Amino acid sequence: MPEIFIDYQRFEFEQPGKVLQFMLDAGLDLPFFCYHPCLSIPANCRQCVVKAGMPVLNREKGTFELDDKGERIIRYFPKLMTACSLDLTDGMVIHTHHSDPLVKQAQADNLEFILINHPLDCPICDQAGECPLQILTYKYGPEGSRFEHKKVHKPKAFRLGPRVVLDAERCINCTRCVRFTDEISKSHQLTIVSRGDKNYPLTAHGQEFDDPYSLNTVDICPVGALTSADFRFKARVWEMNQTPGIDITNGKGCNTYLWTRDNLVLRITPRQNDHVNSHWMPDSGRLAYQRFNENRVHRPHIKLDGNDQVRTSWNNAILTLREQLEKTEASEILAIGSPHAPVEDNYAFRKFFKMHGVSEFFFVPDIRPGSGDGFLLSDDQTPNTNGVRLLDFKETTCKNLSSKIQGDKYKLIVLLDDSLFDRPDWPAIDPGNSYFTVWATNHTPTTAAAHLVIPVTCAAEHAASYVNVDGRIQRTVAAKETRYTNRRLNLEMSMGRLDHYGTQFDNWVDEKNRIDCIPAWEFFKKLDAEARFDWNSSREVLNEISRTLPVFEGVSYERMDTLLGVPLSISRNTPVDQKKTIEPKP
Amino acid sequence: MTDDWKTYKPLLLPDLPGLTDIETYEKYEGYHALKTVLDNPDTWSPEEVVLQVKDANIRGRGGAGFNAGLKWSFMPPPDGKPRYLACNGDESEPGTFKDRKIFEFNPHLFIEGAIIAAYAIRAEQIYVYIRGEYRAWVRILQKAVDQAYQKGYLGKNILGADFNADMTLHMGAGAYICGEESSLMESLEGKRGYPRVKPPFPAQRGLWGRPTTINNIETLANVPLVIRNGSEWYRRIGAETHPGPILYGISGHINKPGVYEYPSGMSVHTLIHEVAGGIRKGKKLKALIPGGSSTPPLRADVLDGLTMDSDSLRKAGSMMGTAGMVILDEDTDMVDVVWRISHFYHHESCGQCTPCREGTGWLEKTLRKIRNGDGEMRDLDLLLAICNRMEGRTICALADAAAWPVRYSIERFRDEFEAKCKQTVYALS
Repeated sequence: MPEIFIDYQRFEFEQPGKVLQFMLDAGLDLPFFCYHPCLSIPANCRQCVVKAGMPVLNREKGTFELDDKGERIIRYFPKLMTACSLDLTDGMVIHTHHSDPLVKQAQADNLEFILINHPLDCPICDQAGECPLQILTYKYGPEGSRFEHKKVHKPKAFRLGPRVVLDAERCINCTRCVRFTDEISKSHQLTIVSRGDKNYPLTAHGQEFDDPYSLNTVDICPVGALTSADFRFKARVWEMNQTPGIDITNGKGCNTYLWTRDNLVLRITPRQNDHVNSHWMPDSGRLAYQRFNENRVHRPHIKLDGNDQVRTSWNNAILTLREQLEKTEASEILAIGSPHAPVEDNYAFRKFFKMHGVSEFFFVPDIRPGSGDGFLLSDDQTPNTNGVRLLDFKETTCKNLSSKIQGDKYKLIVLLDDSLFDRPDWPAIDPGNSYFTVWATNHTPTTAAAHLVIPVTCAAEHAASYVNVDGRIQRTVAAKETRYTNRRLNLEMSMGRLDHYGTQFDNWVDEKNRIDCIPAWEFFKKLDAEARFDWNSSREVLNEISRTLPVFEGVSYERMDTLLGVPLSISRNTPVDQKKTIEPKP
Repeated sequence: MTDDWKTYKPLLLPDLPGLTDIETYEKYEGYHALKTVLDNPDTWSPEEVVLQVKDANIRGRGGAGFNAGLKWSFMPPPDGKPRYLACNGDESEPGTFKDRKIFEFNPHLFIEGAIIAAYAIRAEQIYVYIRGEYRAWVRILQKAVDQAYQKGYLGKNILGADFNADMTLHMGAGAYICGEESSLMESLEGKRGYPRVKPPFPAQRGLWGRPTTINNIETLANVPLVIRNGSEWYRRIGAETHPGPILYGISGHINKPGVYEYPSGMSVHTLIHEVAGGIRKGKKLKALIPGGSSTPPLRADVLDGLTMDSDSLRKAGSMMGTAGMVILDEDTDMVDVVWRISHFYHHESCGQCTPCREGTGWLEKTLRKIRNGDGEMRDLDLLLAICNRMEGRTICALADAAAWPVRYSIERFRDEFEAKCKQTVYALS
């Protein structure tokens, strides 16, 4: 097998590739800025320089030439090479800063160069704390600067587009953002303008940077040059927890991190999953954090008489609903599941009403043809359409459902978390004489029309699974605490520090901003007067699902965590969306 | 060997009026070389042309001095897909202004050379990348290209042979870096002029990912001479290791600045004092920048016996470059000269690689500080340190070109720099 020697250590490689990526995969450290595994390699930051050499081959004998001590004679390249663009070659010898003082010096020199025109405004820079330039300068950089002149001044706080703000002075011209718009989002909206130390990224004259993926450039920016207009100056990164989650605005189910502080989700960033979203996610999913914090249904709401809803106790809500169920025939109950709610909640909903004799379950998928782009935006606007389908809910449309509601057949309408009244194709009707119960996370026109509103946890508050358009089941982890859950006690908590040296107890949560809500499955457990459900966590709900439903066989939270989601074999011939996945880049 | 320079008959820019017109050019053996090649494909196969040019040892006139024929031989065998010849007429280095004389006085010689080169490397598309400021010369060249098309020297089935070639002129937009071969290709492709990472080299992956050869205008203008008269004849002109006629662009503190055509290996003193009429106002020579601003300046006291060819200049500690000689007289402030050169490189660094983007600006700012009388002795060490950190650490050679004049000026004229720094008046605390 071909071999390569890095800092006198022998490594074997099978696939052709580049030295830097090989080193990163092997867990070796080398500083770099412009390289990104999903983008082309411009080798422009010159930070990952190494000393590289090849053994001298004796062509006649076909063996390597040896010196007096019997060791291979190495012919080194005359210049330092950038590891990012250097091909792995059999027998190659690499010296990094660990074994070569010149490389160490070159890395420090390069950082000194980068920093001479960099503002060094880390105390007020949003990137501080997660800034490669900051981290690498502490690790590899020079002690101080010998630059005694005026720094180059460039536009600051310049609005590139609706969501991205540019601070050109901080830019180190790595061109990652330009390459992203050229190679990944293909909008070609950014380019580098001007020359030399005056250059910075910009859109064409008069054009806005309104790429639907524009905020990815903020993530890959190795400095604070591109910042999110929305998150700017909101929080320091070390004051937040990052908890793995799933994008719920879209059928693709991009893997995310939810960044929380004081029980508020402050931003959402992508989490790498080569099976789904690689390193990226659409802007729309990032701006969904507001729905986790604002306009939440807090405690059950009940409509006593007239149109005013008032808050009521959980006890009263449960008793009221039991009373309604007692006086309603099973055939008079219209049960509507939700593609917004997770698999567990839909399962509990179905199981509960099935026990009450309800035989038909409906749901309304929200698929808007043309709104997808074949990349990370799907036509499907909901995160769990496939999950609800697999639980045997019948697909219907707003029109059919509303005519059912308007008829006299149904006396009790139960609707799991789905704001049907907001749908563009929902006819303007109200539920009429039937008793309308809604489980909901947020106040919507639908909840306003309901007689009883049960607050349920949102994707940021529960551990629950969703099946994306490609049939991949993935799960969320609770990022926010509710009134009744304490993440610190059930240890579903993420690390509190970016460097992963934190513990599960040093988190940025407190008693503020906790919503009075419970997961839907937990409500149905409480609602059942005969206490037939023995679930204590959503994990147990899912285990029951995988035990009882063949299509979910073998699915568990543990497997979803280790495999970054489990692909389900969906045999249905009703495709939810064009099945396009990103090819993971070798 | 160049003592008979006074009787030398110019080959690239012969003293014949009206050569820009194709009829006149044809009258003086114009396009004969091309006809010879295309009419006798058995004796003049593409391989044979490459071999002859390689044997003639035409050293690239764009600055690097690489054997043109050898460069052609790097082209992979044809595979039926497009291949390109790119002609580099983007000369924009201070002190270099020779190619425009070819455009102005003998464009057909270059066109003929380019067509032969395209034949040799089996390329059917020739791009001529011309400096955008050369608007007037572009017009002359475009007219010449149009005439060549009319006469059937360009286009389909040239002179009845099974060979097609198209020539397209492309004007640069004012960036020095686009004269670097790989950023020239980026620019031709319509992209931002950023040099490419090498390898792959242009012969492997050039324009649009296809094999491409890039030659200087003057280099190509030498090709018809080799075909007409043979490589042996050509090798006898001028210096042994760097043969052929050279366009010397002489500028600076000189009585008769201009472009002169003489054989290579001319004595520097002959060029300065006899060809170009001596130093202005009878002053003494202080320094010579032999081949454009990026070549290290030489002190006047090392010029004795120095000849204009790459070997001799390398021994003296400089380079042939483009033979754009800048003559500096005894009144010149070297700090000022080096600052001005640094200013140019600061302005022209494309900004891709960190050491060049930041280093060129740092060099200029430090030199400006010294020039303005605020310099300190430690600044000189700093300048040398910056040069150390720039050289060889970037994708293209612009960082080297920016660092060399500074490094060698400080090394060779340190007394002047020190004197300037010592004048500085500053508070101790």
